[in-house]
Amino acid sequence: MKNISLYIDQGSWLNKMHPYTKLLYILTAIMIPLTGGKLWLFPVMIVSSLLLLASGKILKRALPLVAFSFTLIVVIFLIQGLFNHNNETVLFSVGIITFYKEGTLFATRIGCNILNMLLSFGIFVLTTSPQEFVDELEKSGFSPKFGYVINSVFQILPQMMATKDTITDAQRSRGMETEGNLLVRTKAFLPLISPVVMSSLINTRERAIALDVRGFGRKQKKTWLYDRPKYKWDPVIRVILVVLMIITIVWRVL
Amino acid sequence: MGKIFKTKLTTATIVLIPACIGINYLGKLFASLLKLPLWLDCIGTCIGACLGGPVIGAICGAANNLIYGLTTGDNITLIYALTSLGIGLVVGILARMGFMKTFPKSFVCALGGGLAAVCISTPLNILFWGGTTGNVWGDAVFAATQASGMAVGIGSFLDEIVVDVPDKILTLIIVYLILKGLPKKLTALYDVNAEIERLD
Repeated sequence: MKNISLYIDQGSWLNKMHPYTKLLYILTAIMIPLTGGKLWLFPVMIVSSLLLLASGKILKRALPLVAFSFTLIVVIFLIQGLFNHNNETVLFSVGIITFYKEGTLFATRIGCNILNMLLSFGIFVLTTSPQEFVDELEKSGFSPKFGYVINSVFQILPQMMATKDTITDAQRSRGMETEGNLLVRTKAFLPLISPVVMSSLINTRERAIALDVRGFGRKQKKTWLYDRPKYKWDPVIRVILVVLMIITIVWRVL
Repeated sequence: MGKIFKTKLTTATIVLIPACIGINYLGKLFASLLKLPLWLDCIGTCIGACLGGPVIGAICGAANNLIYGLTTGDNITLIYALTSLGIGLVVGILARMGFMKTFPKSFVCALGGGLAAVCISTPLNILFWGGTTGNVWGDAVFAATQASGMAVGIGSFLDEIVVDVPDKILTLIIVYLILKGLPKKLTALYDVNAEIERLD
């Protein structure tokens, strides 16, 4: 794995949209079902996220994200459906195992919430490059030093992965066992990780000196080489999202 | 007490943060490659906390979860940014109080970090997933407590303890061994009590 970021540039309207607008969408998508309180609001938001993903040609790439949370959702259904404290009404039984209505409803709510969150975050994650997001954050006053922290994670990780592969091969060629029972695998952990960690910590010293020499600690205002093209629908979408949130709050209060 | 939270925000400490975040990722990766039933995803946070102090530890922890949550799509980790922040803070404070100096003392540090993780994660688990953690062993304990009719809070608390405390003990042992092996010229960069002597 060379890059941990899932971002891909499809040239779609979601790529052109400002990162803050997409963050606002996440907030709207999570807030509406939770404040609205009705179960049918979850599918509404999930379908809208799916439609947005499809319009950005990234629906296929969002599926692994959903698969990732699948085990968690299954476990929640099993535990809540079988053992929830409010369980009274029997939904169905398979042999000696009985699923109850209350627990299953509770699990449906949690499961929908997880799916909803995953998909709305998926829109942001798949269409926003971390670099662009950090640039926008810095333009609105975020500390450039912490901007560097975020950007450099993406530079350091591929380096560390390469070192990791080298060290795993080196240790194996010396006859270290990395497969077997739990004890063997636990014993393998330290000789594998410590050389990578050591070397990357020692590298920080040189990186710090290199940065200092290039004026990293200076307090002057930074300028940008790349100017982000403005997307004309951004303000419109933001207004719509805010209005939707206000409507939900008003509807809930009334 | 002022010394405990003293932080040098130099270039060296700033550069330490991404390295620690990378180490966190690596720990998690190795744990899954070797199929260990633990997370081991806060080795970097603990190293950051021990070298740079509680403030750097807390920043490492929170930034770690925020960055992975917003780029890898694994937004379940996003919620646990608070937990990581707590682990970094507690381990940093204990390390500054001298609990990382000897091997036996580092267990106190591990327990502190583990309990911080348990206390912050339990309410989050109950709030978001009704008490489960997503770890096989922990959830088996949770299912058992629920079947025997215990309260959700206690069940979830036990669920977390079973997973988090052994996880943090192993993490801090690794951190201790790594820190002992680091060259002095590197650790001196982060020593807040170091003084520069002038020879003229």
